[in-house]
Amino acid sequence: MLGRWGTASYGGRSVPVIEVAGAHKSYRRRRKPAERALDGLDLMVDGGGVHGFLGPNGSGKTTTIRILLGLVRADSGELRLLGKPVPQALPDVIGHVGALVEAPLFYPNFGGRLNLRLLAETAGISRRRVEECLELVGLRERGDDRFKGYSLGMKQRLGIAAALLKKPQLLILDEPSNGLDPAGIREVRELIQRLGRDGRTTVFLSSHLLAEIEQVCDHVSIMARGRCVATGPVRQVLASRSTGDVRVRVPDQARARAVLVEAGFTLSDDPPEADGGAIRVHGVADPAEITRALTRERLYLTELSPIAADFESAFLELTQAQP
Amino acid sequence: MTDLAAATMTPSPAPDDPPHGSLLRAEVHRFRSRRFIQVVLALALVGYALVITLASATGFGKTTPEQLAAAERNVAEIVEEQNRFREQCLGDANRPVDIPPELVCGPPNTAESFPVEQFLDKVPFVLADNLPDGGIAVAVASAALAFLLGATYVGAEWSSRSMVALLFWEPRRFKVRRVKLGVLIGAAAMLAVFGQALWWGTALVMTRYLGRTGSLPADFYADLLAQQGRSVLLVVFAALLGFGVSNLIRNTGAALGVGFVYFAVVENAIRVVRPRWQEWLLTDNAAALVLTGGHRIFIFGEGFVDEQGAFVESGREVLLTNLHGGLVLGVATAVLVALGVVLFQRRDLH
Repeated sequence: MLGRWGTASYGGRSVPVIEVAGAHKSYRRRRKPAERALDGLDLMVDGGGVHGFLGPNGSGKTTTIRILLGLVRADSGELRLLGKPVPQALPDVIGHVGALVEAPLFYPNFGGRLNLRLLAETAGISRRRVEECLELVGLRERGDDRFKGYSLGMKQRLGIAAALLKKPQLLILDEPSNGLDPAGIREVRELIQRLGRDGRTTVFLSSHLLAEIEQVCDHVSIMARGRCVATGPVRQVLASRSTGDVRVRVPDQARARAVLVEAGFTLSDDPPEADGGAIRVHGVADPAEITRALTRERLYLTELSPIAADFESAFLELTQAQP
Repeated sequence: MTDLAAATMTPSPAPDDPPHGSLLRAEVHRFRSRRFIQVVLALALVGYALVITLASATGFGKTTPEQLAAAERNVAEIVEEQNRFREQCLGDANRPVDIPPELVCGPPNTAESFPVEQFLDKVPFVLADNLPDGGIAVAVASAALAFLLGATYVGAEWSSRSMVALLFWEPRRFKVRRVKLGVLIGAAAMLAVFGQALWWGTALVMTRYLGRTGSLPADFYADLLAQQGRSVLLVVFAALLGFGVSNLIRNTGAALGVGFVYFAVVENAIRVVRPRWQEWLLTDNAAALVLTGGHRIFIFGEGFVDEQGAFVESGREVLLTNLHGGLVLGVATAVLVALGVVLFQRRDLH
């Protein structure tokens, strides 16, 4: 229940911008069993920074976003955006939420500028803000060209511009790098980081690009089979999946192996060449014990480094684990 | 403290009231900016001008007294000739005696049997006759146009999925639908009023240069205005029907296809297979709504063979009143639109 995270409040303490508790959603399909998209999803996104939303295809990311934006109805569960229950109070907060979900959706025969103006009129946003956003995404000069004539990257940038029109407190971006060239990807990532640092905007970034999440996000929630299987600061999520292995390098490898085995450590069976001539020690709770054991025998370390899980490994381990 | 920590610990600002926009203004802007709608309306105007020009050049014209006299002489000669043939027929000994002579030789001919206009190269434009008749033609054309506009207005939004994008800005689906319907109703009514006004103006000009006013019944203008009012209603219904079908199918082309199949195939099939249902068909009720005094239809029955072995058609004549036409069209439109609105409220959108 939402209560375990505290009641949403704006009275001087941090309020989650997104709260999801026990959300279930199944899609009925003709002559096929229902497809379970969300299976008791719990998710909390604190205000500020960039929160990554990562998961393999079909894990429920887009369904979660669609439910938060009122496009899809959850079968059960409680959801809040900026402290307000959705979908009931969505009209109260939608003016503070910008979104780009999958492909940008615009009239193909209208120019980019006209498309943005129509949306701006809906929310009473000035034309000056439209120009600012076009400028921000580098489309001001091409603003009068028809949307259908835009490249994939330009369409994506216009979608981001539309999402930014409201100066949102919460910016939901679903695969914003799709179709962008390397320079465009870099620009978008810098923009996301800049927005995340402004202290006002929280960016909720759904992506399948592990590198993007690792590079851009402060926090991450990882989805698998309709549930959130890990959440927290990116480094913390990595650390929690750490193997506890340590790489040890000393001049006299054979003696060092004997000392460590005698001290009770478990060594990898791999030949030293497999790890660049180093010894791999498993399940080390405190690497200082290794230092102590080797120093007692006058064996001096040239390297002692914990082997951290890379993000990809952590992601695969989390998402491929059996329920 | 890192930026991130600072940002996380900073209370999120309270969501104050979002800026007040105008969905209605945006929708009107969206509607009138649609290139397809602009092109269709422009083409309709060009088509109207073309038809009027052709009709004026080839069909209507003032008649000189000499031309009229010549035509009347022509009619008198034909009447005399036809009656001579009739007399010959009646006096023919071989004429079947068991069939009434009126059925074999026909009734006596009079000048009324041969309208004098048929014997003139160009007929005068008679305001009393042509203004109401032309108004109905304009209403039918406007209704077809309105069906197309209604279908494309919402169909294009589904095709481009900008309907979904709009919900990121206004998540109250019922409000979105209400505003869109309001814009469409307003646009259809304007189209209908403009069409009728344009035709009225055209008719006055044609009367001035190509014809005469004719004898106007006492309640001519009251009847005309009532007919035009009902025409506006028909055009609005047509626009809503187009909207309703397109909204259910989510595609303009498919909606137009459904419309074509219904009007060209289904209605004709019903007239043949289930003639009793004819009084519920949309086209008959559209005619009933617009025509002054309603629309008479003959509903064919099974028919039978009489004692002499002749096939006798059975059936009944039904008067579909203006009210009947309005109610049938209104209910059909309301059901279709309501179904679309309810589904839009409930459906998951992807």
